[in-house]
Amino acid sequence: MTNDTERTARFNELAEAYSTDLYRYGMWICGNDALAKDLVQETFLRAWRALDSLKDIKAAKSWLITILRREYARTFERKVPKFTDVDKVVVAEEEELEPDAKVERDLLRNGILKLEPKYRDPLLLQVVFGHSCEEISEQLGISKSAVMTQLFRAREKVKRQMQKDGVTGNVHELF
Amino acid sequence: MSMNFSEFKKLLGADPLNRDPETLRARNSAAEFEAAAAEAEAFEEKLQSALLVKPPADLLSNIKAISQQPANKRRNWLPLALAASLLISIGAVTLVWNQSRQWDNVGAYLADHYSHDGSKLVARATELVAQKDIDKIMAKLGATADEQLSDRIRLIKFCPTPEGRGAHMVVSTEQGPMTIIFMPETRVTDGEMVEFDQMHAMLVNLEHGSAAIIGEQGQAVENLQAMIRNSLKTGLVGV
Repeated sequence: MTNDTERTARFNELAEAYSTDLYRYGMWICGNDALAKDLVQETFLRAWRALDSLKDIKAAKSWLITILRREYARTFERKVPKFTDVDKVVVAEEEELEPDAKVERDLLRNGILKLEPKYRDPLLLQVVFGHSCEEISEQLGISKSAVMTQLFRAREKVKRQMQKDGVTGNVHELF
Repeated sequence: MSMNFSEFKKLLGADPLNRDPETLRARNSAAEFEAAAAEAEAFEEKLQSALLVKPPADLLSNIKAISQQPANKRRNWLPLALAASLLISIGAVTLVWNQSRQWDNVGAYLADHYSHDGSKLVARATELVAQKDIDKIMAKLGATADEQLSDRIRLIKFCPTPEGRGAHMVVSTEQGPMTIIFMPETRVTDGEMVEFDQMHAMLVNLEHGSAAIIGEQGQAVENLQAMIRNSLKTGLVGV
């Protein structure tokens, strides 16, 4: 196998392993499906150009997340994209949700979207990528105890927002 | 020292799926600890489901297409590669221009032209293009692009059109990247929509020449027509 073929195969493995999770992460940090798609494609474009600098394949996930976060900060942070109607983005569950479960899911999504970035980011890293608190600490450059506090508060805030929206019905306006 | 209930709830809030021995011991120490852990796990399951959104069907193929382009490690060969590319491009452009009369209509031209490298150019279009580079290309085509358009251009290059040379642009929009083909010498049926290969395009007549706004079937290409009409000034002599 030539070096070029190996390089392409390595890149394609990364794309297959991480593009879906990176899209989900992008979707929830920018709240817009088209921007999330751009963001992930740009992440992989930069990854392709810098692939030779990735020495340890075990570090690939964190490396890609770092590229995506930088790209997001650089390109999109100053713009506030209009939020996509999440119901138009096909959801991965195979079975149809019961009406009550759908309302609860929408309330949860609304709660996540309303989180400030400092709470949302560690929560997404933990839930979408399965990062441990130590890994989140390294990824975000903050202490493990700060990560744990933010994760605890993130979940509390989501629950409080769900209760609030469940009473006022705000969720139906958003979705 | 054993963990109290408040500490346990904070640990659960930070990591509901935590299975370290101390947390497990605390969980098994009393019914209220066990109930809190079960409640946290149930919430976590719902949270995970809520975050599951399916990526676009073409995401993976678009990403894999990226690996078809040259990488940085070939940088040393860049001058030689550029020279070779230039020669090949000149040959290819000459060939395409010579064949330009083969298109029966603008729709056939767009389908042919876009299938050549349209989606690859979209994938490559990552950086905003400097205004001076846009001005250079536009000036050669007797046109200008104001900031409304130029602030969105992420790729611009000359391209063949049904009648002479034009510009192929990739622009960023709120709906994702779209492609604009500027055809300085070609008139179209204003407002006509054409479809090809899961793409669609709106044709827009300008003061001189025309433009095609190309997007995926789900993208509202018509949303860009007013901006294109206002921003792309054509038919300028001596610019």
